[in-house]
Amino acid sequence: MVMYETVKASINLHAILRNMEDLCQLDDASAEAIGDRHVAIRFSVPGIDRLVLAFQDRSCQAARGDGMTHNMNLRFSSPEHLNLMVEGEKNPLPTKGFRYITFLKDTFTFLAGQLESYLKPDRERIADDFDFLKKSTILTAYAALYAVPEIARYDEMGQKVARKIEDGIINITVGEEFGLHLIAEKGRLHTAKGRSTKARAEMMFDSFETAFGLLNGDLDSYTCIGMGYLAVRGRIPMIDNFNRLLGMVPRYLS
Amino acid sequence: MQRNQYPKSRELFERAVKVIPAGIPGHLGPANGCFIPVSAYPFFCERAKGAYFWDVDGNRFIDYMCAYGPNILGYNHPEVDAAARAQLAKANCTTVPAPLMIELAELLVDTVDGADWAMFAKNGGDVTNLAMLTARAATGRKKIIKFVGGYHGVLPWMLDVGYPGVLYEDIENIITIPFNNLEIFKHVLADHHGNIAGVISTPYDHQAMNENHLPADGFWSEVRQLCTANGIVLILDDVRCGFRLDVRGSDYHYGFKADLICFCKALANGYNISALCGDEALRPAISSVFATGSYWLSAVPIAAAIRCIEILREIDAPKVMKKIGDLFADGLIKVADEHGFELRVTGERAMPILTFGRDDSNLLLQEWVAEMMMRGIFLANHHNIFMNCAISEEDLEQTFTAAHESFEAVRKNHPDI
Repeated sequence: MVMYETVKASINLHAILRNMEDLCQLDDASAEAIGDRHVAIRFSVPGIDRLVLAFQDRSCQAARGDGMTHNMNLRFSSPEHLNLMVEGEKNPLPTKGFRYITFLKDTFTFLAGQLESYLKPDRERIADDFDFLKKSTILTAYAALYAVPEIARYDEMGQKVARKIEDGIINITVGEEFGLHLIAEKGRLHTAKGRSTKARAEMMFDSFETAFGLLNGDLDSYTCIGMGYLAVRGRIPMIDNFNRLLGMVPRYLS
Repeated sequence: MQRNQYPKSRELFERAVKVIPAGIPGHLGPANGCFIPVSAYPFFCERAKGAYFWDVDGNRFIDYMCAYGPNILGYNHPEVDAAARAQLAKANCTTVPAPLMIELAELLVDTVDGADWAMFAKNGGDVTNLAMLTARAATGRKKIIKFVGGYHGVLPWMLDVGYPGVLYEDIENIITIPFNNLEIFKHVLADHHGNIAGVISTPYDHQAMNENHLPADGFWSEVRQLCTANGIVLILDDVRCGFRLDVRGSDYHYGFKADLICFCKALANGYNISALCGDEALRPAISSVFATGSYWLSAVPIAAAIRCIEILREIDAPKVMKKIGDLFADGLIKVADEHGFELRVTGERAMPILTFGRDDSNLLLQEWVAEMMMRGIFLANHHNIFMNCAISEEDLEQTFTAAHESFEAVRKNHPDI
């Protein structure tokens, strides 16, 4: 149970909350809500790398570790404490930056709601609004793909699977419009934005509709490959093992 | 050469996905079968004969995958099919088995060097599982050693961490170590002294996706000796190699004797049957294991297996396939070299795997195999291929012609490699 809470907290921190960075780029209402305020919140959870979310000039920048300055610190007594906060059942303990409490209560809560609307999207809106589907897919892809390295780092089975991924880069792309890549090195994984030119393996979705369907469990990858909606090439064992890690994400996010 | 088109295959696949999960599940399907890109591959077969199959669009393929091994004499072999038809006219799946079952067991005991008895099932995984149960029943121990990349079927204990549906508890008694590494093997025996029931292995490292490796000098003799000394059952998974390297068993081919030998693929030239053969000492243990299936003793595949084995012996099939495999490999390496590519052919020549030098992503291989596919040569970019006894010199020449064109096409896309 301890491991489960740790993995879940690291995903909540470095995959879900990290997503604020992209939310503010994609969602005008979120950028508007930040306005010209400058608040850098550090999330401190025992046993997990810290995260700083720096909100400034209608944008957000996420940084792992202690490299970025902050003016507000939120301390959590345990990974479970963070998880309960994300689920709205417990409050964080601010230990620095009390004057930004209003931002936390109002703006941050609004941003979290916006993020949730994309990660748990209204299906009717998805069917009618392609722009919404596209943004939802991008944010869900970031959440899932940034969750994978956390599973590789903290989950016992995830560590074993990750060790089987050969060193190199896996590209994940949607048409020509969107891409990110996973870098594997000696069992450690790292997600980065954009398409790499040095990939050893590639997963290529033909459309945002396909990517949305697969990421949300509406489609299966085997059918999509056969239908030509999803193409794979390169070192297939890298993709197979990556997919096994990806398959573990819902255990922590469902 | 004309390049294949597959409109009917695609149409059928769209129909299939509506009622069959993944359309074509398993290794014959486009996902597990690594159809890269899928547009280059046929999905459905119309008919087959000898070394060829024709897809539903009328494209003919020289099939070097041989249904992943079962086709050993040539598809629809007239004598094997006649034996099967004759038995079908009498009886197939009945409440008590046909006496033919005894004939097949006698034939296997007579053919396979290490066989004192034989039992039958349907798939390779049935008999590898039966072998594992027998090893545990015989020793009263839990742990099984297998080797990296060794494929023994799809039951949970045969799979690995992270496979959907597989629990840690399913695999906690399976120890996986590198093939050909005696030092690690000895360490594992010492660390788990008295707890290892069996060692299961293919005759050589013929794993998918990577170059294959033959057993190092002395590897099998030492493994045999260590298993004997430690009371461990040595299980040979000869499902893929069986009857392609030596009709007497692949352990005989490599100069050792396994305690249990698992056969399937080539046993009946495409009829569904598998067999577990073993040493006399394990007769009480396997007799105690409860293992059965509705179709395990069906008579038609048994009749086919008898005729298939008889022919394999008559024509010395492994020698035939080795010769074809040598011509195939040497010819393709030469063609590749002429186009400036390093084609590597590893494993046994009767069932080699193809890889390229300077291709650590497999992209060149995938591209070249796709070009071959569109010219009617069915190879694999992920798995060893298989020779069969029906491949002619003319087929090989056609293969080399297609290879020339395919290398040329790949070269155009990669002038700098």
